[in-house]
Amino acid sequence: MMIDARNVRKTFGTFAALNDVSLQIAEGEMVALLGPSGSGKTTLLRILGGLEFPDSGSVLFDGGDATKVAARDRCVGFVFQHYALFRHMTVFDNVSFGLRVRSRAERPSKQEIARRVHHLLSMVQLDDLATRYPSQLSGGQRQRVALARALAIQPRVLLLDEPFGALDAQVRKELRRWLRRLHDELKITGVFVTHDQEEALDVADRVVVMNQGRIEQIGSPTEIYDRPATPFVYQFLGNVNALPCQIRNGRAEIGSLVLPAPAYAGVSSAAGMAFVRPHDLQLSRPGEGEGALAVVHHVTVLGPTVRVELMMGEQIVEAETTRQRFSELGLASGQQVQLWPREARFFLRDGWEGTSFQSREELARSSAML
Amino acid sequence: MALAISSSTTSLPRRSVTEPAWVRLLLIVSALGVLALFLLLPLVTVFGEAFSKGLDAYFGALGDDDAVAAIGLTLTVAAIAVPLNVIFGVVGAWCLAKFDFRGKSLLITLIDIPFSVSPVISGLVYVLLFGLQGWFGPWLKLHDIKLIFAVPGIVLATVFVTFPFVARELIPLMEAQGTEEEEAAVVLGAGGWRIFWHVTLPNIKWGVFYGVLLCNARAMGEFGAVSVVSGHIRGLTNTMPLHVEILYNEYNYMAAFAVASLLAMLALVTLAVKSLLEWRFSREIAAGTRHQKT
Repeated sequence: MMIDARNVRKTFGTFAALNDVSLQIAEGEMVALLGPSGSGKTTLLRILGGLEFPDSGSVLFDGGDATKVAARDRCVGFVFQHYALFRHMTVFDNVSFGLRVRSRAERPSKQEIARRVHHLLSMVQLDDLATRYPSQLSGGQRQRVALARALAIQPRVLLLDEPFGALDAQVRKELRRWLRRLHDELKITGVFVTHDQEEALDVADRVVVMNQGRIEQIGSPTEIYDRPATPFVYQFLGNVNALPCQIRNGRAEIGSLVLPAPAYAGVSSAAGMAFVRPHDLQLSRPGEGEGALAVVHHVTVLGPTVRVELMMGEQIVEAETTRQRFSELGLASGQQVQLWPREARFFLRDGWEGTSFQSREELARSSAML
Repeated sequence: MALAISSSTTSLPRRSVTEPAWVRLLLIVSALGVLALFLLLPLVTVFGEAFSKGLDAYFGALGDDDAVAAIGLTLTVAAIAVPLNVIFGVVGAWCLAKFDFRGKSLLITLIDIPFSVSPVISGLVYVLLFGLQGWFGPWLKLHDIKLIFAVPGIVLATVFVTFPFVARELIPLMEAQGTEEEEAAVVLGAGGWRIFWHVTLPNIKWGVFYGVLLCNARAMGEFGAVSVVSGHIRGLTNTMPLHVEILYNEYNYMAAFAVASLLAMLALVTLAVKSLLEWRFSREIAAGTRHQKT
């Protein structure tokens, strides 16, 4: 199903949970709503499911206005963060609930219900646990029951609220892969909420990054990671060094480091922030290349990669390098190295809070200048 | 309560926490002594006095017309008051636990009033409202409705006094359970009634049951409020506790204790049923109930 949310606003008391959010979701797409807690992502999901109603704006399902349609008539599958399984019902009764509550005219026969439930249970690999109660299941099993229950009514869209939030890392990873496979098989439109960027990048076709009730950026996982539109997205997705800088006539000065910033050619002088990913920082011996001098503060070896904490003046900078490069340089605490960002991006300080797309400009590709 | 405490202390490391033997002995003996003196001895006395003149006299006292009438009235009152309070309690708790609205805390306070007001006062309030000289007295008389010194007044007073039992039992339970299961049911297409019967009610049935037990015990045993509104008309408006008092005041100790023994047995049965259920369904109850004692 195609979903179209238009200019949705929602406030709880004085707290603006959603501030003019518009979002289109294509048929069969898997979309992640990614953001920190309080960003409005769960509220948006609940509005799509009909569990909350927007103060203004509208929600369209396949072009038809669904804004005021009650949750029970929306035909959506909703998976709750804590599963919300009916604790006094068996797994079978949980999954069949949505079919059993239908009016006599729409309700499938008993045999048909049993057939469908067992089909779903075998799909989630829980067929032999049909007579168990939720309290007798592990977290991962409960999650799969919740999913089977949501799918039993053949929903037009599947909504998942932090589906793997309460599970441990191993189970989470497994279920993630499994959900992705399931989605590829069923081709159902899906929206899930998460605060885990890895989960969003791994499972979703498209990621919607939210912050303070607004959408910061919408894009494919690669787009979001490689070309963050705002400082917020930069910092939320992956490790990044945020370095205060001064922008003057198309150049950015970070301490003694001067980088080209052609997008700001018209700016005579302004305070800004430079964003550099740790793995984009190139380390070399002093005098061997360009760049600013820094002192190694701390070294952490993480398997094949090495994380180096450096002091560049007063600023702590994190760099990531390979094990091989690390031994070539013979890095140790207190040693001086030269730093050069292969890639960096600059944002002006003005207006990076507030509307999200204001500071979108071309990526400064310092590497081309080398 | 006592069980929970003792089981948690035994799991602690022994040496560092345990007191010397004589201290333990002293504490245990004094606790048991208090228990025996103030709980067990009165109970034994009730039954001892009741059977002091033999079984025939005991059943004779219970078979007395006025005694039978009192027992009948008590059962009738409980049969009306308990179901009413189950309905009020479930509806009230559902409303308070599952929804947010203005004046919520005021409503919770209102539900608690019968606990904080002396039963005699609540009885008096009914007399002042519905008695002959009361606010609605003349109107009630004009329409030939008799509330005070009659059965309806007794029912009213009992309902008032036992009002909080079910609601108080359910509010914390329902608050702890939250609304997620109901939301899940809505999304799956269930309507309001179905959600209540198939999702909400099964989750609170043990809480309701506890509430009913406590409510029933109090409804049958209530003295103060009922005493004020009943008028003590033998064979008509005397409940069991009132009947016990009348017999006692007439120095008919044996008969008084015979009727009292029935009330004592009610208490014992209530406790036994409660313990049995707790033992039998401990896991299910633990899953839902955080017991708050009144």
